Amino acid sequence: MKLEGEQFLDADPMTVWAALFDREVLAAAIPGCESLDQTSDTEFAAVVKLKVGPVSARFKGDVVLSDIVPGHSCTLSGKGSGGIAGFAKGAAQVTLTPEGTGVRLRYDADVAVGGKLAALGSRLIKSTAQKLTDAFFANLSEILAVPETAEPV
Amino acid sequence: MTLHIGQSQRRENARRHLAGRGRFVSDLALPRMLHAVFVRSPMAKGRILDIDTEAASLCPGVLRIFTAADLNPRCQPWVGTLDHFAGMQSPPMNILAENEVLWAGHPVAMILARSRAEAEDAADQVLVDIEDTEPVTGGAPVLQPGAPRANEATDSNLCYETLLETPDVDRAFTEAAHVVEAAFTFGRHTAVTLEPRAVVADYDPASGALTVHHGTQTPYQFQDVYARHFGLPEGKVRVIAPDVGGSFGMKLHVYNEEMGTVAASLILGRPVRYVADRLESFVSDIHARDHDVHGRMAVAADGTILAMEVDDLTRIGAVSAYPRTSAAEGNQVIRLMGAPYRMPDYRGKLSVAFQNKVQTSQYRAVGHPIACAVTEALVERAAEATGCDPFEIRARNLIADDAYPHVSATGYQFEKLSHQACLARLREMMDPDALRAEQAALRTRGIYRGFGIASFVEITNPGATFYGIGGARISAQDGAVVRMLPSGDIHCAISVTEQGQGTETIIAQVVADQLGVAPERVSVTTGDTATTPSGGANWACRGAGIGGETALRAGRQLRDRILTLAGALVQADPATLRLAGGAVVDAASGAPRIALEEIGRIATYRPDTLPDGVDHSLTVAHHFAPVGYPFDFTNGIQGSLVEVDTETGLVKLLKHWVVEDCGRIINPLLVDEQIRGGVVQGLGPALFEECQYDADGQLTNGSLAEYLVPMAVEMPDIEIAHIETPTQDTILGAKGVGEAGTAAAGAAAMNAVNDALRPFGACLTQTPMTPLRILDALDAALQERTAP
Repeated sequence: MKLEGEQFLDADPMTVWAALFDREVLAAAIPGCESLDQTSDTEFAAVVKLKVGPVSARFKGDVVLSDIVPGHSCTLSGKGSGGIAGFAKGAAQVTLTPEGTGVRLRYDADVAVGGKLAALGSRLIKSTAQKLTDAFFANLSEILAVPETAEPV
Repeated sequence: MTLHIGQSQRRENARRHLAGRGRFVSDLALPRMLHAVFVRSPMAKGRILDIDTEAASLCPGVLRIFTAADLNPRCQPWVGTLDHFAGMQSPPMNILAENEVLWAGHPVAMILARSRAEAEDAADQVLVDIEDTEPVTGGAPVLQPGAPRANEATDSNLCYETLLETPDVDRAFTEAAHVVEAAFTFGRHTAVTLEPRAVVADYDPASGALTVHHGTQTPYQFQDVYARHFGLPEGKVRVIAPDVGGSFGMKLHVYNEEMGTVAASLILGRPVRYVADRLESFVSDIHARDHDVHGRMAVAADGTILAMEVDDLTRIGAVSAYPRTSAAEGNQVIRLMGAPYRMPDYRGKLSVAFQNKVQTSQYRAVGHPIACAVTEALVERAAEATGCDPFEIRARNLIADDAYPHVSATGYQFEKLSHQACLARLREMMDPDALRAEQAALRTRGIYRGFGIASFVEITNPGATFYGIGGARISAQDGAVVRMLPSGDIHCAISVTEQGQGTETIIAQVVADQLGVAPERVSVTTGDTATTPSGGANWACRGAGIGGETALRAGRQLRDRILTLAGALVQADPATLRLAGGAVVDAASGAPRIALEEIGRIATYRPDTLPDGVDHSLTVAHHFAPVGYPFDFTNGIQGSLVEVDTETGLVKLLKHWVVEDCGRIINPLLVDEQIRGGVVQGLGPALFEECQYDADGQLTNGSLAEYLVPMAVEMPDIEIAHIETPTQDTILGAKGVGEAGTAAAGAAAMNAVNDALRPFGACLTQTPMTPLRILDALDAALQERTAP
């Protein structure tokens, strides 16, 4: 299943880039994220609770970042198991392109799902994936929009 | 004397169901009953590295969690092969996956909890670590040497292959004026019964008795299966199939979950319930079809069909189904090809291949829709090649109604069929000349209608050569116990079963006529191995033909008993008496001699008043096995009228016609209901239903949001007519009818769609004929027309 899209983020590329590698930012931005541990510079272990149609599941998975061109692009690949609900695995190519005052983030993902999730049908999976992606970027934009001075001292 | 056979009688149990008084296994709750949920492999193929059940075992309400090591040793593995399919191979199967998982949905663990909800929550906590390997999901290449295998236990992905041919088939093709050919693909689909598979197993350790309440069409087969595979005395196993919410062949196979439920009850000594939910039905109920067929037809210049040659590749699961196998469908496909026609020569090749998907096996009209669609599509092409019209080419080639007995090129023996009479009747009903005129007029307005017809032969009333000969413990005979109650009412316990088709109603009609009573006075018991005699039950359209004959013969034996007893009571020669109107009457004058209730009273309460030596027993048991022809074939023809929207690819079904010959009709209302339901089940996979898989072996439309079943609003009016050619093999003369509608509905619809698309040169050879496939066919035809 192919997922693709792009999002304009009103922040400079290096800020966005740093956010994508920031455990706390990611944990706050990923919808349903229950825990996110950074296991190395380029690896994360996540537990995410998702609901797809009638199936809800707690996914445990690992994400690895590779092909890293700092400030420009990287590949995220991962595999998650949702127990009886099934599994998901895939890879996404993420590219940042400066645009005006901000940056345009583009992603091209190829995702395979299995088990009960797959059987629900790609229409449901795809619309849910789109919804989750939208939520992720909305969260990210919100986090990036917070002025630095607002951070607690 | 026939009074009720041939009359439309409403289905006896329909009123009970309408009143909400159905007794389905799904509704059954026994004291101390546990609920089972299965943890399934999400991978289509892989090796189990670890199953961690610890967290799940701590969940509220959970009593036990079983893995293969707990359950499988309690059960003899089963092997889905039959001896008469020479060279067939399939690995042994047991309840839970041991090392390998073989399809997405393969059960790997079983949770037992106080409620289904608690069991499901716990199932969520089971961690199954599976190292996935590349599954086998493709077509022909899976049979090439060195191809990855769907299971590690067989030496190749070839489950079974066979070849049928007549000596002169090659000459027929060489000498033919025309050879037409096409490649067809028939998608996978599944039964989608209203009530899913349901079982409540109840083992009583005190008595050693196992009672299994099982929503199945074949309780005696499961009594045998449970006894043998769990090492129990057959007499200690009772299988009860109460109301069953649809079965269609899907509920006579051995499934991992039912066997697991029985094993769990044996281990725990308490009732265990398993009811499949809709999502898991899609990945555990058998699927059907999944065939690629290449077909050729040799035709003389005048349109005479000389020969057919077909090559059928069918992809089953990773393991053949048990006990009927997954090869029987392909076997019927290649044997039913060209069956309605005089065609003298034939070659049919069948290859049955393993792959990592849900098992396929018998489902309503096993093989018939495929053989019919291929044959009838090629007949249409032959008509086009020789300038014949669809009715004309069939009239020229269908076996003449006075040319029986006839043996088909594939070896089927036909006692007597009525193809030509059916064709003539269909022509009257459809009025093809008017349809052609309408078609031409509408085309000028950009409306594309088409009609298609399809002749068929249906296998019914199978004898022991069907399964018994292959070593399967599947009964070809049936049994009935008919008794007169003291009141003169009649009770019949019979081995054919009821899944909503009206078996009990027609059995009552048949018995009533033998005993001269109204059917309302005949009560019928089915579906309980403890209270009915053993028999084959319901599959392959045998309920009316074999079950009905069993009831008839048992009824006649009871009639003779009653007349003998009556003769002693009224001091008359029994030969001068008969039964009518609930009484013994004088055979010649019809004058009443003694009422049945009076005979019942004396035989039951005052046998002391009978003359010495008079037998007062008013219960008879009789078993009947088919004799004569190996099958009683039926025949018929269907027509379909459609409108195709060439902009959207949507097909509107406008009208459907069926002319059917099922021999003696016991109940016209129920026969027509069977045909209508069958037609809908044939049109579903022709246009809507398909189990879609991705390359990883994942079912991608396993819910009713994605899997399209035919709905009432899409279905056309279905007009039905009958020709009656009773079989001479039985007194009753009835043949089966349950699969006739399904056999040819899709073939007729495919010919109709292609007739509608003829102006564009587009042609569909794949089912379901989805809007996308229709647009693709239109596009391909356009490319071809505009290519330089």
